[in-house]
Amino acid sequence: MYIIETKNLTKSYKDQVAVSNLNLHIPRGKVYGFLGPNGAGKSTTMKMFLGLTKPTNGSFAINGKKYPENRIEILKEVGSLIEAPAFYGNLTGEENLDILRKILGLPKTAVDEALELCGLTPYKKRLAKKYSLGMKQRLGLAGALLGKPPILILDEPTNGLDPLGIHEIRTLIRSLPQQFDCTVLVSSHLLSEIELMADYVGILNHGKLLFEGTLTELRQEARAEGYPTDNLEDTFLAMIAADNGQRGRGR
Amino acid sequence: MSLGLEWQKIKRTGVLWTFLGGGILAAVVPVINLAARSEMYLRLQDSPVDILFKGNWQLMALLNILLLVLGACVLYHIEYADNGQLKMCSLPIKESTLFFSKLGLMTGLCLVSLSLEALGMAFCLSHWFNLSQSLCLELLKYFAYAFLLLLPGGMLALILSAFCKNLWVSLGCGVIGVCAAILIPTDNFILNLFPFALPFQVLTLNTEQAVCYLLASLGEVAFMALMFLGLLKIRRTLA
Amino acid sequence: MSFASLLDIELKKIRRSKIFMLLFVAVVILWLPAILNTNYSFETDAAIGIASEYNFLVQGFLALAWFMYPASMVVSTVLLKQLERTNKGMLKMLALPISSAKLCLTKFFILLLLAGLQLLLNFGVYYAGAALVSQRFAYNFLLPPLFVLKETGLLFLAAIPMLAFFWLLAVTIQTPIFSIGVGLASIVPSILMINTKYWLFYPMSYPFYLMTAEYCKLAANLGSAEMPLIPWLPIAIGITVSCLILACLRFGQAERNC
Repeated sequence: MYIIETKNLTKSYKDQVAVSNLNLHIPRGKVYGFLGPNGAGKSTTMKMFLGLTKPTNGSFAINGKKYPENRIEILKEVGSLIEAPAFYGNLTGEENLDILRKILGLPKTAVDEALELCGLTPYKKRLAKKYSLGMKQRLGLAGALLGKPPILILDEPTNGLDPLGIHEIRTLIRSLPQQFDCTVLVSSHLLSEIELMADYVGILNHGKLLFEGTLTELRQEARAEGYPTDNLEDTFLAMIAADNGQRGRGR
Repeated sequence: MSLGLEWQKIKRTGVLWTFLGGGILAAVVPVINLAARSEMYLRLQDSPVDILFKGNWQLMALLNILLLVLGACVLYHIEYADNGQLKMCSLPIKESTLFFSKLGLMTGLCLVSLSLEALGMAFCLSHWFNLSQSLCLELLKYFAYAFLLLLPGGMLALILSAFCKNLWVSLGCGVIGVCAAILIPTDNFILNLFPFALPFQVLTLNTEQAVCYLLASLGEVAFMALMFLGLLKIRRTLA
Repeated sequence: MSFASLLDIELKKIRRSKIFMLLFVAVVILWLPAILNTNYSFETDAAIGIASEYNFLVQGFLALAWFMYPASMVVSTVLLKQLERTNKGMLKMLALPISSAKLCLTKFFILLLLAGLQLLLNFGVYYAGAALVSQRFAYNFLLPPLFVLKETGLLFLAAIPMLAFFWLLAVTIQTPIFSIGVGLASIVPSILMINTKYWLFYPMSYPFYLMTAEYCKLAANLGSAEMPLIPWLPIAIGITVSCLILACLRFGQAERNC
């Protein structure tokens, strides 16, 4: 039922708690929108899923596999785009993807497919360091989509893209569960985009999960709490403000 | 497969050209030395290979170890420069596999430069001495010994680069290590076991000492491999 | 923008870069063998005709001048270049109302400061080492500070053309491995160059030649070697000025051409 499940997942540093007792339930075959202000803990959570950061406490399972015992098996099934696009500047876009393809044991056609999906085919022979910001973002996305993995973890995939590019990527992400039978965990600041993309949302603030469920359930809860429900942005801002207010009183 | 990937990654970085250029520069050292001072060297009674190594190896070894330090720094600089390292960590590939593939690549490049140096020495042997099959075999023995003694230094340089994100820090540590090696007295066996000092040793008639250095070199490689795996685990725990 | 403000900015950029630690560890490693060497030979010093305290100083300075000091400066140029390269800091600097030649010269000045810093650290570590060795051998190895400062100052001045050349390499060669490789490889032959008349045109040999000349001055039985002000000084100034002019012209060109 849930392809990614976390149990009291916590990450704390010397002077702060980045993620606190997180219990996420990401349903299989859906697009899950991960929302939160800057510094809420979204990227940290995603990094923990990929083994880039070790959890301080708690546990998680991805497609029935637990970390850290099954780290390599988990990574075989996950395509990711975390923080800024990561690449080798001295190689072309095609060469960058070819390296990933070989590591993942995919056929040569996978590179062209990924480039085509992200609209990079005309620029595949250009050096990655000469790519524009938008192209670098598309290259990162192409790397995540390589081989059509069953799980995609995308950290602000539309960063740096123009409105047309945002529309293209949004449409692509929306179609992925049906087209490629995959689950997408996507974080974004563009709430209007999440509203159009996601089946489920999880709202994070200061490392704590404020809400998890469908957009309909979010509106119902917001109505019950007296928050505005006209659009996701107003609801989101009201929830965050209320939570911040509670934290302030708690001190 | 991983070795092939590492080879792909060094495209347009200049690593191959640097090893080729460094090999040629080191190969030229005995040629210039003999051209300038042939009378002095031809008067010596030792075996020609021994004469060539005793007269030139210190400078050649210095160039070789600097080449390894530089190569190691750049091999990991490629990963850290545009966050390639982050992508590698999120793929189903072990960091240790990445390291040993880079080590394999560096070893291959080192062999290329040593081959060029061997050709330089072979030229000196044929031009100033009488190049024979036995001399060729002796030359190969000396270079094989030199190659095995270079391994610990290369490995240490690569370990330093793997844990230093900034190019100047790994380069600085390597340069300090090389300088320390230069200052070590040649007659001190224990101190000459320092990985950056080993490459300066020449295969001698004192076979017991030569074997000791060889075994120490192999032992250091094994020890550093285990140390690297341990350090990786610690880094992962602290992440 | 004034040179002083620009200098302040450039100094801020090298904070937390660990360069101080690297330069300090380098000089400690340099003097450690001299301090720990238990077979200190007063007889050899007498044969050469040099007082042991002077030999202790000169041996350390020779090792510094030949390899450690030039190699540390190559590392420093890598620091200055890479700080701008990562996260495209250089593009930002070029897009600001600052003359690129001024920026280039300011960075060179930072390199000079780092060079001076290492020599000052060397000065301090020498005195600590000399004090330790004096206690061990019950012999005063400590030389007058003015004399040591004079040698340090001369070494710094003799190294300026070499620093200008290293800076030119860093600015003009974009591929890091080539600029570092050429820099490090250029240090190695200086030990051979000082024995030829072409040393005058090889700035990397200047510090080592100077220390060798000082060694010969202090030792009665080592022959003589002079650092002739003419023609050395005009050649050194010419090399320095040419390298700096070329560096200023080429500074930022690669980023502008992208």
